[in-house]
Amino acid sequence: MERIAHVEKLRLKFPGDASLLFKDLSSTFYKGEKVLLLGPSGCGKSTLLQVLSGLIPHSIDVPMKAEALLCPSSWGYVFQDPDSQFCMPFVDEEIAFVLENMNVPKQQMIERIHHHLQQVGLSLPDIHTNIQTLSGGMKQRLAIASILALKPDVLFLDEPTAMLDPKGTKEIWNVLKEVGQEKTLIIVEHKIDHVLEFIERIILFNEEGQIIADGPKEEILSTYQNEMREQGIWFPGIWEEYLETTSLLRSRTPFEKKEKVLDVQSFKGFRQKEEKIRVDHLQAYSGEWIVIKGENGAGKSTLLHAFMQFIKTTGHCELVGSPIKKGKKHADLVTFVFQNPEFQFVANSVYEDIAYSLKIDKKDTREIEGKVEELLERFWLVDHRNKHPYQLSMGQKRRLSVAASIVKEQKLILLDEPTFGQDSKNTFALLEWMEELRQKGTTIIMITHDEQITNNFATRIWTIDAGKVISDEIQSMNMKTELVSV
Amino acid sequence: MQLDFSSKETWLHRINPSLKLFVLMMLCIVVLSVHDLLFMMNFTVIVLILFLCFTGQPLKRILLLFIPFFVVFLSTSSSMILFGQGNTTWFKWGLIHITEESFFRGLLVGFRALLFAVLGLTFALTTRPVYLFYSLMQQVKLNPKYAYSFMAALRLVPIMLEEFQTIQNAMRVRGVVRQTGIQSVFFKMKAYAIPMLSGSIRRAHRIAVAMEAKRFSDTKNRTYYYEIGFSKHDLVFILYFVILLLAGYYGAVKGI
Repeated sequence: MERIAHVEKLRLKFPGDASLLFKDLSSTFYKGEKVLLLGPSGCGKSTLLQVLSGLIPHSIDVPMKAEALLCPSSWGYVFQDPDSQFCMPFVDEEIAFVLENMNVPKQQMIERIHHHLQQVGLSLPDIHTNIQTLSGGMKQRLAIASILALKPDVLFLDEPTAMLDPKGTKEIWNVLKEVGQEKTLIIVEHKIDHVLEFIERIILFNEEGQIIADGPKEEILSTYQNEMREQGIWFPGIWEEYLETTSLLRSRTPFEKKEKVLDVQSFKGFRQKEEKIRVDHLQAYSGEWIVIKGENGAGKSTLLHAFMQFIKTTGHCELVGSPIKKGKKHADLVTFVFQNPEFQFVANSVYEDIAYSLKIDKKDTREIEGKVEELLERFWLVDHRNKHPYQLSMGQKRRLSVAASIVKEQKLILLDEPTFGQDSKNTFALLEWMEELRQKGTTIIMITHDEQITNNFATRIWTIDAGKVISDEIQSMNMKTELVSV
Repeated sequence: MQLDFSSKETWLHRINPSLKLFVLMMLCIVVLSVHDLLFMMNFTVIVLILFLCFTGQPLKRILLLFIPFFVVFLSTSSSMILFGQGNTTWFKWGLIHITEESFFRGLLVGFRALLFAVLGLTFALTTRPVYLFYSLMQQVKLNPKYAYSFMAALRLVPIMLEEFQTIQNAMRVRGVVRQTGIQSVFFKMKAYAIPMLSGSIRRAHRIAVAMEAKRFSDTKNRTYYYEIGFSKHDLVFILYFVILLLAGYYGAVKGI
């Protein structure tokens, strides 16, 4: 077989880091192979992709050394974030940008643009469409289309679906399966259920950036389950395994002393004077875990924003017995956890960030200390207390944002896809903390696309479609207990 | 959030953007050297006709955009009129001292400010940035490196506005609004600036890497999706100013 990419004894260190990320790492990739790189976050998988493609050191300046390095001559790279890989405002212009770079004559451009859009199944009424108006899945398909304009032999895929919902994820992998048939694919991905279908080889990394296994997928998946569980990788069957081993869900009891926490009637939310969400009648009681379901763009986040009064609302909305109005301080009763944790940090250290809301309320110093210590302990952040929130890893940031949000022990917690992009370890831990709070009487309202969370944790499900709450179902807990024990 | 100022296309849109930029910049220099009030007024009318009738924007939006510049006109001219120096006194009360000379000079300065604003707005409302940069690359031989960086940066603006709103909401959840006093102003500035800056820097870096991954390089040798040339509209545009300005100057000399 023909070698297409190869690296021998790679040493690489990010400036400012204490130790080498790679120490004498070697690996070879052959033409036509479909390879998946697996490992805990921060182990250097994406960095390896960048070295293999030549982006390091040509575009990203990182000191590195290798005894031998072979980069493919023709390659394309699909990045994680759909919003930060385009440089032009319109769909046709973005693909044309690549064609211009390749010196394709203007006369052929329109035809090529149509061709590449068709390859990824992106049928737009007008190719001159603003990229901002596309959904995340469509943006990633556009990213793939513009990469295909390079006519690459090798595709480097760096978690191309990390920011997408299940529907978008599936679309993207279907497209990649289609267009990748003849090509070499080197993939980094956490959500591996769709990828597994068409890859042949898995390379498994450990936290130190060393390769611990390299071989055919069946062999790796069956031999290294323990390592994968330890690293928080979402391997197939991990949910079933988790449900079997955890005792928390089996002993689940409904919360007894019910109190009405949220009551909304003929409630509407507006964005730029346009009605975006409508609720006829909804109620939530203490000790409930409500999951909000619905397609992308149906208005799930808008509903939570309306409850928080981030947007203009009309109608009746009562929180623990008192109506809420815009401008009124209701941070004591209800809290909100954002999808992007970074937007939520207000202080310069982890400790200060958790203490922040309490300090505003001028609580007693000793009380603040006790409370913050307890949360640091509970959310595994004790060792990081003095770090700046931005220095934390993805999972740590999420844990901090939740800890800082619930510090005032509000009765109602709203969460916007809190498990999004998290590894399995963090996800399960987060769900368990939420369940503990629920058992103490807190009401949880959570947006999630994850069927497993909906089926196993929710006590009530609200479904939203086209800006309207269309159903409100109660899930009985006994049913689930039965299901779990099957 | 969308920043959408799209409108009907008019002949002003079809003018070569580099040429339009050059002509309007020349006009700005001409404005600086005009000291005759009558000619200045004619000049203003000539530019206003283009601005009001041919930008293709709905009249309501044009008037809305015009308000701040009208305020600039009033404030610059009135400060000159009320406190300027001169020999022929018309009115005097305390600090206020209006003279004939200061009145005319005030109007002149006011019109000058107004003209700059209207010239700039006319250009901005009738030129798509993408066309401008393509034209600059093709006609003025601007280095593609700079042209594409600017276009990529423009894409970040609406994304940043969205981020700003999210941070604002996040602050509210944490109770930041409750702080009062001078200290809280600094605090809020920091609370907004740091996440927005760090986000923008990270995003700009990612876009730059993505552009290079798409084989963008420094060579000036590239094909163009939009080939922007010259047309008869360009001639009309130049003739419009040449003829009307000459007429305006003639009129001013004759005292019309």
